[in-house]
Amino acid sequence: MSARIPDTHAEAWALLPWLANGRVQPADREWLEAHVQDCEECRAELAAQRLVASQVNREVAESPPAAASDEQRSFNKLWARIEASESVATPASGTSGVAVVMPRSSRTVRWLAAAVVVQAIGLGVLGMAVNNRAGSGSEIVTVSDVEPRRHAPAVRIVFEPGTPVASMNTLLSHQGLSIVAGPGDAGNFMAELSADAVASGASAESVAAVMAKDPHVVFAQPIAR
Amino acid sequence: MALKSVENPDSRAVSPPVTDSSERELLDRIVRSRDQAAFRSLYGNYYQRLTRLLSRMSVRREDIEEVINDTFWVVWTKAAEFRGASQLSTWIIGIAYRRALNALRRARLRPVADEPFDEDSVSVGSSEEGETNEQWLALGLESLPMEQRMALELTYTLGHSCEEVAAILDCPVNTVKTRLFRARETLKRVLPELAGMPGDKS
Repeated sequence: MSARIPDTHAEAWALLPWLANGRVQPADREWLEAHVQDCEECRAELAAQRLVASQVNREVAESPPAAASDEQRSFNKLWARIEASESVATPASGTSGVAVVMPRSSRTVRWLAAAVVVQAIGLGVLGMAVNNRAGSGSEIVTVSDVEPRRHAPAVRIVFEPGTPVASMNTLLSHQGLSIVAGPGDAGNFMAELSADAVASGASAESVAAVMAKDPHVVFAQPIAR
Repeated sequence: MALKSVENPDSRAVSPPVTDSSERELLDRIVRSRDQAAFRSLYGNYYQRLTRLLSRMSVRREDIEEVINDTFWVVWTKAAEFRGASQLSTWIIGIAYRRALNALRRARLRPVADEPFDEDSVSVGSSEEGETNEQWLALGLESLPMEQRMALELTYTLGHSCEEVAAILDCPVNTVKTRLFRARETLKRVLPELAGMPGDKS
């Protein structure tokens, strides 16, 4: 197949920037270079475009790069966001308050199945305890008693590594938040809004937005419940 | 997963000399094993480039990180859908470009492209004024409408072919040629030295 030879001045003129940057299509290179060889106007324009290219690149080379720490901090934020989205943080179903963090969806099914089995065993044990103590007057503490406000607005938070506990507590209490789960594998906590904070107009979205701006916070996101 | 354990050793490089094949290896590792180290390397390859490009698009400084991370969020979640019909860099920079346009809309910042270019607003440079060609050229670049500036930046700073620029900007190849043609004409009016440059017969 023979190469296309348009050899028109206008078409050559339009392609000169890519002759200047070395990225002209192989099919165009031969006729383009031949045209430029014979066309004084195109030679002048090519020289001009090479000057523009060198100047633009000189400006890039001389401008200070973004700090490596900025890049790492940005990446940390992105990674925290990815981990948070791929984890399902839920409050523990016991009284210990230990977080149950489930990594990715493929593992989530297995975890959920295991949790159902554990829950069934727990219910069986509880049932036996109730039967054994019937009429004794002793009180049974249920899961729902431990967490009466299961559907309170909640946010997922990742703090900067090394943030003092006192600073975390101050930040959380100012927003009316209490940790109910965490830290997970990615250092993520789940925190719920107090009834007072909700009554005063706070929402998971508004609190997450405020928290996200704090330098101690890498990531804060409302949890859809 | 250890969040802090993966650092990019060469993150200060402005434009790391990476090849498409080496970047595709990184993408393969991300698809196959959700490899954080590969993802971090790919992120580092583009951070400086995108920071520069987005600042040229007049994206606010505080929004640049968000646009870059939104871009790489898409890379992470859609990596398996990249079919390799184009260069990986074309795909990633194209995502960033569209995300940046959204950010500009959200910020209610009108892109410069929406505003007619006022040629009188840019003075003609002369050595008598103590300005260097470089300074006048930089001023001229800043004065270009955004879409022309992007075509020029993608061509000269990032070294893309005309077809790749068209893919990134999601427009026909002829539109890219037209945008660069107009950008060149504008720069000549800003800097007469460009218009009168003699051609060498080399």
